[in-house]
Amino acid sequence: MINFLLKRLLAIIPVLLGITLLLFFMLRMLPGDPAQVLAGQMASPQDVEMIRTQLGLDQPVYIQYASFLNRLVHLDLGLSARTQNPVIQEIWARLPNTILLSLCAITMACVFGIPAGIIAAVRPYSWVDYLVTIASLFGISMPVFWLGIMLMIVFSMTLQWLPAGGIGTWKHLILPTVTLASFVVAFIARMTRSSMLEVLSQDYVTTARSKGLKENLIIIKHALKNALIPIITVVGLQFGLLLGGAVLTETVFAWPGLGRLIVDSILARDYAVIQGSILIFGLLYTLVNLVVDLIYAFVDPRIRYE
Amino acid sequence: MRKKVRLKHFRQLFTCMIAVAMVAFLLSPVAGSAQIKELKIGIGVDADTLNPQEQTTTLFQNICDLIYGNMYYQDPAGNVHPRLLAKHEVSEDGLTWTLHLKKGVQFSDGALYNADVVKQTWDRILNPKMRVPLRFAVSMVKECVKIDDYTIQLNLKYAFAPLNATLSMALVSPISPAALEKYGEDVRQHPVGAGPYVLTEWVKGDRIILIRNKTYWGKAPTVDKLIFKIIPEAITREAMLRTGEIDICYKPLPSNVAALKAQSNIKVEMPLDTRTIFMGLNCQKGVTMNKKVRQAFNYAIDKKAIVDRILFNTAQPMDGPVSPKVFGYAKMDHQYDYNPEKAKQLLKEANFDFSKTINMRTPNGRYLFDKQVAEVVQAYFQAIGIKVELRTYDWPTYVAGLLKPIEETELEVFLLGWGPLFLDADMALYGQFTTEVNPPKGLGSSFYTNTAYDEIMTASRKEQDLNKRFELLKQASGIVWEDCPWIWLHVEKFVLAYSSKIKNLVVTPTEKFYPTYITME
Repeated sequence: MINFLLKRLLAIIPVLLGITLLLFFMLRMLPGDPAQVLAGQMASPQDVEMIRTQLGLDQPVYIQYASFLNRLVHLDLGLSARTQNPVIQEIWARLPNTILLSLCAITMACVFGIPAGIIAAVRPYSWVDYLVTIASLFGISMPVFWLGIMLMIVFSMTLQWLPAGGIGTWKHLILPTVTLASFVVAFIARMTRSSMLEVLSQDYVTTARSKGLKENLIIIKHALKNALIPIITVVGLQFGLLLGGAVLTETVFAWPGLGRLIVDSILARDYAVIQGSILIFGLLYTLVNLVVDLIYAFVDPRIRYE
Repeated sequence: MRKKVRLKHFRQLFTCMIAVAMVAFLLSPVAGSAQIKELKIGIGVDADTLNPQEQTTTLFQNICDLIYGNMYYQDPAGNVHPRLLAKHEVSEDGLTWTLHLKKGVQFSDGALYNADVVKQTWDRILNPKMRVPLRFAVSMVKECVKIDDYTIQLNLKYAFAPLNATLSMALVSPISPAALEKYGEDVRQHPVGAGPYVLTEWVKGDRIILIRNKTYWGKAPTVDKLIFKIIPEAITREAMLRTGEIDICYKPLPSNVAALKAQSNIKVEMPLDTRTIFMGLNCQKGVTMNKKVRQAFNYAIDKKAIVDRILFNTAQPMDGPVSPKVFGYAKMDHQYDYNPEKAKQLLKEANFDFSKTINMRTPNGRYLFDKQVAEVVQAYFQAIGIKVELRTYDWPTYVAGLLKPIEETELEVFLLGWGPLFLDADMALYGQFTTEVNPPKGLGSSFYTNTAYDEIMTASRKEQDLNKRFELLKQASGIVWEDCPWIWLHVEKFVLAYSSKIKNLVVTPTEKFYPTYITME
């Protein structure tokens, strides 16, 4: 187990290296000169040149990459070109907000999605099943942007129950969480339903039923436990996506998270911040995947990591 | 009798004392509800830097104004008032400006404000190693010399009459020398100035909080705390204004202005801006080299319709080459009213090749509805048989394309905005149309060049007499208006929506607002 863990942790390094390599060269292929953006529309060519030198952008790309890696080894992500603050600080100011929102959303998605999926699977083609199917269809198809604005109109502007945006109290969390979770709830519900349906048609479930076991016990202990693996996979993947894909929700609800920082940085061609944030996302994503793998072993005793 | 007299005197004295006490009470800052605890302002983006010498975004120059104060203050009507500068004198040749500083001013950290500080500020601005994106705006200044503790002298390379208005820019506001020593260049994150407000909290991506500067030299502000909340989405800002979560909404969507105006608890203010939006036409390359073609393009477009239908009247068609808000503006006698027939005729006279496709470009999201405006212009062109290919770019890519020299430029017809930073026509007329500012040296991307025009503009910079200078600017405007290096589109309006309880909010044509001395009902 320890060996496995070490191996997996070591494997993160080449993954991250791959991310940096791709990102570094892709960013520099984008048109638009960061020095020019920083210097402003009306700056003189000398000023632009000076900023380019300051940012080290006058060096050949491979040298820039080497010095980036060198700094990375020392856990230094460089300075933001836009604010001149260490990138780590810029990220650190927003990462907790992103993680908090993603955690709330994924929790909500599991709390509502899994039971909904189970109920739908236990009574297939009943009205409950149709209700869950239709609701999840809505959840999957509704654009986040639209849903967010609708929720805001109803709960903030009309009913005045919840704040329309910003952070601060638990009330500020509700609307963005619901918005962000809507898609994931639906996805998890559908996944749970199909996975449960498959398991419920297995012979051992029939056996359990003929033994006269209580239906609840069959569903929770025998069926759900066996249906969990694909659900956990989906939850893990979705959580990883939430961490990086909350840009729209963050924008609508003025939630100061990482997604927004990345978009602003791309528009300003702030290479250091883009690289830093994507790298952190990459790291979080691979870590979430690792945790998911560990949970597999916990849920299914047949899975053993050597 | 004597006793009575004394009693009378005593009574008078007593009455006087009560009266004085009452007046003092009424005048004191804590009197009644005059003092406002906090004001929440919803803005779209977070600041990159709060160093006034580095800042290029109007909104954050606005915040810098509140923190640092200004040397001079230019009011919305264009009049210049003393602030950190008491007065100035200009030499006969216009090359020497003697500036007298206000005495008895302290920075919010207690550091003294004097000639050394102002000189240090100018030395920093003029130092080519410092990052000062707007340095071009003071490129006429050769050096700053200290005369005595409260007098400095600016020696200019060339005469520049509107320098007094230039001194109202945040660009020249001094930073506390103690803060510079303490933080070095990191002062951009720890701004300390001599303005009415002090930064207390800056949570990246979420809020910037200023509190009243207790040692401010001027009249005490009426608002104790200003909270700038960063709310990227305009619709959310509007929702929060409606729910009372914020008091001021910076730049709501033009499409929602009418709905906001209909609310009795919200006031919408939209003064005309200094920024003009135009389609630049390359005067030295391609089909637009021909003046008749450029004039035809101006006749081909219904600018009024664009303003009405695309921009929801948050703009006004241009009727001169600069915004009506700047000094030097004059409405032109001849107007290029929508006339597709005349456009076709002019194109015919110019032997225009209709088989050729014109390359048109626009940024996407930089200006209000920029892409949509460009699409409408494209449609108007197509309506008179001109083939147009429209391309959109994000801003960094777009700027890179604007700055190429004439040999490399691919510009033919391109949408752009230009907003003078103070209320004077020089930055527009000189900064866009003189030969000197043709790229890559400047941003006059239309590559307009006209010797007579250049001479008038140079003369206008030397002219200290306001009336004579106005005549020169008007003359220059006439020349460039006739030559049409731009399709003259519209002047933007600066839209600010706020709670109707707020009174006396100062909103300027340079897209700034000052809540310093508001009152609330």
